[in-house]
Amino acid sequence: MITEVLWWIFAAGIVASAAGVVFSRSVIHSAIFLIVALAGVGAMYVFLQIEFLALVQFLIYGGAVTVLILLALMLTRTAAGTPRGVSLTGPHWPFALLVGSGLAAVLVGAATATVWPGDQGKPSLLPIGRVGERLFTDFGAAFIVVTAVLLVALVGAIIIARQEGSE
Amino acid sequence: MTELQFGEPWFGIPWLDAILRILVVVGVMTFTVIYLTYGERKVVARFQMRLGPMRTGPYGIFQGIADAVKLLVKEDIRPRAADRWVFEFAPYATFIPVFLVLIVLPFARDWGVRNLTLGLFYVFAILGLNIVGILMAGLGSGNKYALLGGVRAAAQMISYEIPLVVSLLAVAMVAGTLDLNAIALNQADRPYVLLQPLAFVIFFTAMLSELHRAPFDIPVAESEIVGGYFVEYSGIRWSMFQLAEYASLWAFSIFGSVVFLGGWAFPKGDDWPWPWQLFLTFVKSLGFILVVMWVRATMPRLRIDQLMNFCWKVLIEVSFALLIVNGIFLYYDWPHELLALVNWAGAIALLGFIGARGARKARVSQYVGLYRREGVTAP
Repeated sequence: MITEVLWWIFAAGIVASAAGVVFSRSVIHSAIFLIVALAGVGAMYVFLQIEFLALVQFLIYGGAVTVLILLALMLTRTAAGTPRGVSLTGPHWPFALLVGSGLAAVLVGAATATVWPGDQGKPSLLPIGRVGERLFTDFGAAFIVVTAVLLVALVGAIIIARQEGSE
Repeated sequence: MTELQFGEPWFGIPWLDAILRILVVVGVMTFTVIYLTYGERKVVARFQMRLGPMRTGPYGIFQGIADAVKLLVKEDIRPRAADRWVFEFAPYATFIPVFLVLIVLPFARDWGVRNLTLGLFYVFAILGLNIVGILMAGLGSGNKYALLGGVRAAAQMISYEIPLVVSLLAVAMVAGTLDLNAIALNQADRPYVLLQPLAFVIFFTAMLSELHRAPFDIPVAESEIVGGYFVEYSGIRWSMFQLAEYASLWAFSIFGSVVFLGGWAFPKGDDWPWPWQLFLTFVKSLGFILVVMWVRATMPRLRIDQLMNFCWKVLIEVSFALLIVNGIFLYYDWPHELLALVNWAGAIALLGFIGARGARKARVSQYVGLYRREGVTAP
């Protein structure tokens, strides 16, 4: 009962801070709202008793949001944000709406169409060693490919962000 | 692996038990932080052949309490250029992660707030979050020095987190568990610092950097950027940053003593009763803190480029090499003595490399400015 009430409070908080990410006028505020939303998702994992995923969420996104703030500072050069009265949306907004609602439709459709196996007992009792075995032994090659793609994307982002001719 | 029971809940009620344990840990933490500020001033003073605080009480032992009272009643100022909410929430965002880490630290057998099977992972997942608070303080203050301090802190902490985590992973590989109590219990015969000295050296260096202690106190360098990210804070908000800094020093020292020095379990911790275990934790963490202060009193501050080069070109490579060597040894079940030998060689090589680089003479080909105009040549 009390868990359910807490669950709804956290869900409302996540939605509110996600709206804050979209509607706030400063990049810095957006990033801070983003970390509140992501931490809320981490708390959701705690409610679902998957501590491992909750910790992964905190570890990855804590660092990721910091990097995001730094990149925002490097790329936009205006930490102060858009002044009031200036529209936040650019001319591309119909396309953004299309992509956003399309993605939401796909996710909601997938979530409702899947038949979930139901209550499988306490997931927190999953042996972490087994997860590691699956990830690094059974899917080792896929894992390495994904890390390589991420690394290339990171290096590319940094090169675009630096935009220096020569030192 | 040994099954560990983390004590029965007090009074048999889990939530009351949790609240009571948290209250005890917070009380001890506040007291420790007040006395760490006093202790640091005293220790550094002795290193510099001064007396340190002497006026408040015998040998100045009430100095910490006097400081705390002064900070609490000081006016809390918010600059007009500051970004209001970011500025006001930054101290909390810095402090809360440090406080959360205290939950899993085992002070004695069966004595911590909670024991998690993923304790080690929890510690470094949560510790990464206080960068956000520091960055918020830097960005929200509306001050160029604070911004510089915050961005420096972010760059430094993100970089040094990698060798820190990898060196801890190396130990976790040898221990075969992420449970802090089980790690301590595994060291009942010999602490892991003997088995993994290279990991210890990397951990200690990265820890100094994560804590912004000298010689890595670049984000809070008074002589360069006035005071870093908390330059605009005063009164109780400033004291929250101070509290977070000393509390994380304390948390790191207990964490390091559990992972590397055997925590409450070495020597004889499992056979003798809890006062001995508490005493072991106390002595080991105190030793850790003293070495941190000793380093602060001895070493000059690095430059930011030296700091980044040292992390990305030395520490990360060495820590990954350590991880690979550990993996090979453990996979093929080669003897632990050989692993320890290789590790010792690595640790001595790393320290020797640092020493050799530090002892190099500065290469000055030509002076600049006034010296050049006056025609002074380099020696």
